[in-house]
Amino acid sequence: MLPFTAAAHNQGPGRTLVSLERRHLVVVAMTGWLACARQVAAAPLPDDLAAAIAAFADGMPVREGRVSLDIAELVDNGNTVPVSVAVDSPMTEADHVTAISLFNERNPQREVAHFVLGPSAGLARVSTRMRLATTQRVVALARMRDGSCWSRTVEVIVTLAACVESEL
Amino acid sequence: MPAQPRRGDVIEIRAMIAHPMETGYRAGSDGQLLAHDLIRWFNCSLDSGNGKELVFSAQLFPAIAANPYLAFHLRANKEGTLHFSWEGDHSFRHTETAPLRVV
Amino acid sequence: MNATHDVKGALDGGTSAVSRRQFLAASTVAGGSLVFAFHVPLAGEALAQPASAEVNAWVVVHPDDSVVIRIARSEMGQGTLTGLAQLVAEELDCDWSKVTTEYPTPGQNVARNRVWGNFGTGGSRGIRESQDYVRKGGAAARTMLVQAAADEWKVAASECRAAAGVITHRASGRSTSYGKVAAAASKLTPPATVALKDPKDWTLAGKRLARLDTVDKTTGRQIYGHDLKLPGMLNAAIKECPVFGGKLKSFNATAAAGRPGVKKVLQVGDTAVAVIADTWWRAKTALDAVIIEWDEGPNAKASSEGFDAILKAGLNAPQAAIGNQNGDALAAIAASARRIESVYSHPHQNHATMETMNATARYTPERCEVWTPTQNGEAALAATSEACGLPVAKCEVYKLHLGGGFGRRGMSDYVRQAVLLAKEMPGTPIKLIWSREEDMTQGRYHPITQCKLTAGLDGQGNITGLHMRISGQSILAAVFPQNVVNGKDPIVFQGLNATGPEAGIGYTIPNLLIDHAMRNPHVPPGFWRGVNLNQNAVYLECFIDEVAHATQQDPLALRRKLMANHPKHLAVLNAAAERGGWGQPAPAGVFRGLAQTMGYGSYVAACAEVSVSAQGVLKVLRIVAATDPGYAVNPQQIEAQVEGSFAYGLSAALYGSCTVKDGRIEQTNFHTYPVLKMEDMPKVETVLVSSGGFWGGVGEPTIAVAAPAVLNAIFAATGRRIRDLPLKDQNLKRA
Repeated sequence: MLPFTAAAHNQGPGRTLVSLERRHLVVVAMTGWLACARQVAAAPLPDDLAAAIAAFADGMPVREGRVSLDIAELVDNGNTVPVSVAVDSPMTEADHVTAISLFNERNPQREVAHFVLGPSAGLARVSTRMRLATTQRVVALARMRDGSCWSRTVEVIVTLAACVESEL
Repeated sequence: MPAQPRRGDVIEIRAMIAHPMETGYRAGSDGQLLAHDLIRWFNCSLDSGNGKELVFSAQLFPAIAANPYLAFHLRANKEGTLHFSWEGDHSFRHTETAPLRVV
Repeated sequence: MNATHDVKGALDGGTSAVSRRQFLAASTVAGGSLVFAFHVPLAGEALAQPASAEVNAWVVVHPDDSVVIRIARSEMGQGTLTGLAQLVAEELDCDWSKVTTEYPTPGQNVARNRVWGNFGTGGSRGIRESQDYVRKGGAAARTMLVQAAADEWKVAASECRAAAGVITHRASGRSTSYGKVAAAASKLTPPATVALKDPKDWTLAGKRLARLDTVDKTTGRQIYGHDLKLPGMLNAAIKECPVFGGKLKSFNATAAAGRPGVKKVLQVGDTAVAVIADTWWRAKTALDAVIIEWDEGPNAKASSEGFDAILKAGLNAPQAAIGNQNGDALAAIAASARRIESVYSHPHQNHATMETMNATARYTPERCEVWTPTQNGEAALAATSEACGLPVAKCEVYKLHLGGGFGRRGMSDYVRQAVLLAKEMPGTPIKLIWSREEDMTQGRYHPITQCKLTAGLDGQGNITGLHMRISGQSILAAVFPQNVVNGKDPIVFQGLNATGPEAGIGYTIPNLLIDHAMRNPHVPPGFWRGVNLNQNAVYLECFIDEVAHATQQDPLALRRKLMANHPKHLAVLNAAAERGGWGQPAPAGVFRGLAQTMGYGSYVAACAEVSVSAQGVLKVLRIVAATDPGYAVNPQQIEAQVEGSFAYGLSAALYGSCTVKDGRIEQTNFHTYPVLKMEDMPKVETVLVSSGGFWGGVGEPTIAVAAPAVLNAIFAATGRRIRDLPLKDQNLKRA
């Protein structure tokens, strides 16, 4: 059924569901993710998106690579879209990911989430669910301990937007 | 009960909270306007006896879908208590803990 | 002949035991089944048959010179298939009598980087949004075909010309045909740019050509989702919780499970029960025998009376999102010598497509395929992938012609249901058909609204200020909430915007405020042909008539004054009024009403003629509709669409209302949700005022002027101002 009904605002304070799963270090498998990530045509990014990325990078250059962005290429409605970001990194004391951020191109606001990874993260992989207002690019950024920044950009087609007038 | 990882294993932690992530003014069928209501912050820390160490934190924006879901990883080097907290608009705050046992 | 439109269906990825020949043989033997061309594409095979050439994504040419034009949008009776083919064929310069069409699948579109663009068919955008690139596709294909001939003759392409599928080299007199050079053309690099013809030079586009799909529809050869038969297929009926927002609590299948032909009785998602059986009737009657307990949820007590109260309160609420504003309307109204105020309402309505919702799905862990009528093949594909959990690359949707769409089939809810059922019986195609009752009660309804209009008037009959407060349901808030920004749903204001090509108000009003207090009942809204233009045209056009009457001005004269700065709006209004005979005496007992609006890129107006008997019985006698869609691709089809929009719009205005009691929709079939009958249908004349220079839509705009023109005519006939729909619930006796 529809995500928003009269009951929605009656939700109580909420409950965290926590599950822990055993997982072995999977460094080798990560390169597979990188290989099948969808590269996106290099149309220039809108100014506000470029600015948001520059703010994250804090003066460091941003390079494409090392980051994989796992998100459906075609989405029916865009209300709840699973997304995973993984970064190719040994996650050692000397060489690890400190932060991952997600940005979008055409929602009302560019930021989706900023993630900070603790020193014992072990694996630079984060998953969440996001909203997409229309067909657009999603950008994942990772900052390394040495300050270097890496990115991946993927386009997602959101189809329900087709029902709505183009002035949206 | 969470699984018991071996020391040094990397585990995945999933957290979700029921919350509408209301982005704007919409009215329910009773006519009451639903004020914007977002969860803004999530924090997971591990307390293994000498203070809390950050495991993972997130700043969330309206583009995060309702009933926010987060999955992240931790190398299980030490035992302790995991602390989870969600914070948001209108002084929303929800915390929970879960033990982390390591074999 | 231009008859064939192939349905592409793969039985499997190559592992099924049923060969194509076996399938065709079985189909012709089975009594009453309809055989249609089944092409079983193998992995990596191109869409077209062997020995033909895909010159580019839009054009396939066979050796016999027949041309297949690829159509991305959905045909649902609106003629878009033919219109798009005309545009491609115009630039292609092929022989129109040799043209057929086919639908590429959404999976192929995704795999080929969306080479066919957007598949979504709604918002009257099928032609206007794709005309540029489909024409370029046709032009590029022509360029490559001519180049291939020139290469073969070792001459310059500029010395050759193409017409009706024949390429000639003037100097040498040599000629060839498309079929002969298509293979060579398909190997050429597409041109970087192409020049399009000036519409003045069109020979196919702009012409009243017969549609490509009429013959099959008339002979019964056309396959719809309801007709589909696949080997080994089973049929399914479904019931979803009749109270929106409720869930399935429990069900007792004892009486159903043992019935002949019944294979499974099962839960679908959280909210529905379905039966799968060998025939649909057996599934349906077995489902009726299942004892179902619903957890009706928080909306179990919702009612139309409750909605009415909530919406009424919104008319005066302090907080509202502003859609259009200039000057200070509230101050101007307060300071006016005189004011008038009226409250209007528009109910929930059902799409009531002739063909109920349906989808056929077949699932294996390697592949999930769906055959369904859909207004958006890509949305159906995404929904399929999400419902079965397989990646998009392992899913496919085969589009079927729609037995009516009107916006309902842009939603993929029934596709998801079919896929969930198919997952329960891997390898078996499951055809899910909704009963009429299910279709009536599980709609995505025309949103419900009310509107309070307040006008300040000066001593000379001018409007000094106008406040239009809309209270009611937002479609986006339910369907696409991420596009509601700062509490405002922009499409609420269709036809009322200050400016813009999509939906701009046609009046200049010195102090104007149009705002919306959002109030969302639990009934799920959707895009219903015309969307919000329908009620906005009723509200504004009827109220302008009220202002005219209150100030003793002729409704046309008043409008002309207010529309001085809106020449295109005014042109269609004048065209409708003139052809309608406005200003000249009407036959005895016949009265006229006017309405105009703008939406979906086009300007429309109507003049309605009605009579109302002393007992209050309404007869709509004649409608003159004028439309300016800019360019007109097929005038005959435009006239048909305009007529059809009045059939649909008058149906809704006269009879269409979905009410709610105990949380559920009360109207379950056509006995309580009637539609227009032949005897009710007025004569409709269309005046095409194509001013050229832009591309406006045709499918929707004219529907919005149906109700207000008739309502205004009813006032002229009876002196009674009707402000609520549907008309069947109103008293039309002379006031």
